[in-house]
Amino acid sequence: MAEKGAEKAAVDVSVAQRTSIPSGESAVWADVSPLLEAACKDLGDGDLVHGDNFNLFAAMSALEIMDPKMDSGMVGKYYSVDEAVENGAAPVPISFEKTVDVQCTIDIMDHLLACEATWHKGHSLAQTVFSCIYLLRPDRTSSHALLHSYCRVIRATCKAVVSVVSDARTHETVGRSFLELKQCCNDLVLQFPESLEEKRKSKIEEDLFTMAYGLPLDGDGDEKCLSLLNAVEETISRQLRACKAQSSRRRVIEDVEPLQTNLDLEEGYCKALLCRLRFRKHFYHVLTSMRRPQGRGLELARKHIASCITELECVHKSSKFLRAIASGTCEDGIEDKTTASGSQPIGFDASLNCRLSAPTPPRSIKILSWKKAIEYFSKLLHHLDIICSYSLEPLLEGVLQFVVQFQKSQPDLVARAHLQLLLVQDGKLYGRESIFSVITRAAALPDVTKNHDIQKNEYIMQLGQLVINMLKILCTNAAWQRRKLGKMLQDWRVIYVQLELVFRKDFGEVSGIPDDENVCMKIFQHILVWVEEQTYWIASRFLILGFELELYSPSEYCMVYWYIYVVLIKLVEKKHIKMAARNDTSKQKVKKKRESPKDAAREYRVPPAVLFVQCQIFLVEGLTMMLAALKNEHMILQSPSPFNTEQERFIQHFELLQKACIPDHVSYPSFKESTTYARFSTLVMYNYFKDAQRIAKEVKSSFSNDPEKLAELRKIEQVAEHNSIALNLICRVGALDRSLKVSFEFSHHPYFATAVVKRS
Amino acid sequence: MDQEAEKSSIQAETSEVSNSDSSDPVTRVRNLLFRQMLVGIKDGRFFLGTFHCIDKQGNIILQDAVEYRSTRRSSPSPMEQRCLGLILIPSSCRSSCHVDCAIEEQLSLLKF
Repeated sequence: MAEKGAEKAAVDVSVAQRTSIPSGESAVWADVSPLLEAACKDLGDGDLVHGDNFNLFAAMSALEIMDPKMDSGMVGKYYSVDEAVENGAAPVPISFEKTVDVQCTIDIMDHLLACEATWHKGHSLAQTVFSCIYLLRPDRTSSHALLHSYCRVIRATCKAVVSVVSDARTHETVGRSFLELKQCCNDLVLQFPESLEEKRKSKIEEDLFTMAYGLPLDGDGDEKCLSLLNAVEETISRQLRACKAQSSRRRVIEDVEPLQTNLDLEEGYCKALLCRLRFRKHFYHVLTSMRRPQGRGLELARKHIASCITELECVHKSSKFLRAIASGTCEDGIEDKTTASGSQPIGFDASLNCRLSAPTPPRSIKILSWKKAIEYFSKLLHHLDIICSYSLEPLLEGVLQFVVQFQKSQPDLVARAHLQLLLVQDGKLYGRESIFSVITRAAALPDVTKNHDIQKNEYIMQLGQLVINMLKILCTNAAWQRRKLGKMLQDWRVIYVQLELVFRKDFGEVSGIPDDENVCMKIFQHILVWVEEQTYWIASRFLILGFELELYSPSEYCMVYWYIYVVLIKLVEKKHIKMAARNDTSKQKVKKKRESPKDAAREYRVPPAVLFVQCQIFLVEGLTMMLAALKNEHMILQSPSPFNTEQERFIQHFELLQKACIPDHVSYPSFKESTTYARFSTLVMYNYFKDAQRIAKEVKSSFSNDPEKLAELRKIEQVAEHNSIALNLICRVGALDRSLKVSFEFSHHPYFATAVVKRS
Repeated sequence: MDQEAEKSSIQAETSEVSNSDSSDPVTRVRNLLFRQMLVGIKDGRFFLGTFHCIDKQGNIILQDAVEYRSTRRSSPSPMEQRCLGLILIPSSCRSSCHVDCAIEEQLSLLKF
């Protein structure tokens, strides 16, 4: 027994030595596996052996080893990059046969494109682009000019993209975004569990995105990637020319060594490579010129975007040629492949640097297919083009409209980051308009204000910061944006109260004030109105984003539309006051010039911008009342929520608005009060939808040069028309026919519902 | 403090255990709690941590665990290590399990 023990001990010591994991002083590692096995046999079902400090709940959070979703250290095929390289996982050259080498290089390029798109979609850089062993060892490729130049430009591009996104960050931390997420989930989990994954992803996308610890993003000389790329491009285009000349039996222009050995394929390979290289070149140019200050590079960027799109189309077309050659290997399932040829690329292993993506748990990643990657990049380029063709409008209202419109096309992270960096540079709009002058214009202040001392006022400066924050937040993803806007409402409210206090203190008991002070007073008055208008605009955006994020259940539509209604009423009121004031000042000027009494007497016309909101107001009021009447007359089955009452849900949805008193004196009782008595018999007498339709028709002509507003009006008109018909139908038939089923769809407008009446 | 007390009690018990072979395995495993445990798993990594819990299926929880992995398949090779905290090692992937102990104690552990 003792002998056996000694033998074991010797083995154990060797374990410890081999692993160089030290045991305690004058101690050894004793094997306890047999003991554990025996103990487990003796344990009853569900029994645990644990100490006093054990807490089952805490134990649940233990990291599970060998679980692919939790254990980022799982050893894959290789123990390290070096070992992989030594084992020939990423040979240079890829093959000594030149044709194969070119073919494999193209596969690597394609797979990298797929990886890059996957990264942009929110996965870690380490597990996507840098799963490429060639990228991880920048020096190794130097003898292979083609691969080397491509790897360099990829690294440089990744670095540029990381810098855009990290510069544009709204400085959310992982911890905070999880908290935010939890809040979001509370709203979501009951009704829409399937959309949770999407929401979660969008929350942490930015955090994952910029994580690049330990990756060789700064390869030696990568900043000069373009010169090498150009040289390689030049060589290949000469090879292409040479092979074309040969095939047409013309004289051989110059002594060019062909790209590879199979002359039948020379032209195809040259072309496939050229468009890939050129795409990279132009894409890199796009990124760098878009970063030029004050939007000075936008025009140049547009040219490169156009070239990028052309080259991307060529890349797409090249797949026919590449697939034909590789067809021996595989035919089916090309849709899921990550390369144009459909072959598996050489030199990739995502498990090698999986651990670099810590502290996040590893996610099992499915790299996008090559086709999807191409689609992604053309979408990205399209979005970047929208940004680059933007007129850099100085009027804040226009900026907001542009950003909201841009967000409707659901741009991804990279495009959004670019937009944000364009809008806010050095604390100025586009890096050139001071925020105070932006406010001056937005609040319709007289021109003299621009140099007025008031801009040094502490609260005015804070207001400027709020405007900047708002612009940044509007460029983030919908979930984050909504949460942030909701929280920001309180800041806007506080600044309003503070400005009002200052205003009261300075001009409270004045009469017959001198002209200069008169200007000051006017400025304050205008700013106050504008701050309120802006606050209500944010509130309406906050509410509407809830539809985009599918946060509302059909049983809550009534209260949501009601809240939108009360917010829009306030918005239109402030807008109207502002515009009337603006008209006043401009009219005064006119009067002074012409001094004609006729002009002053001219009939006052409601500005189209006000009518536009008015038309939305009628629509939401109609929807509120229709939903309330359906409920009151028991035509919509209201299954009471098992989890919370209507009042609780009201508080859940509008807590942030209520906290900021937006609007004042609005609460659950006032919602109940205004909807309890809604009946179809009264609704049909006053049909809100008809009014919405009428105004939409009227106001259209005023927006003939604003296609977006026009499209919006057309949609509103459609919703109003459908709902008006539905309303009449329900009124006529509803009382008699109890089998009538009414449901709501977003078929004509993303957030104004259309009623659908069916007989069950 | 508690831990110290427990340790000394373990020591006392183990010396007792060495005298009586009949002590049941569950008690003896209980005595290993709070000791440093080195668990090897099938992909070649080792985890060193404080023995925290084991269940009937043989899944082990270690506290304050450190992961050790060699950078090459061929041994000897340099080791990489990183801290993981609380980990659960499923019995299915466990290939070896050792505790840190004095030589004289080791002999008693082997008997049963």
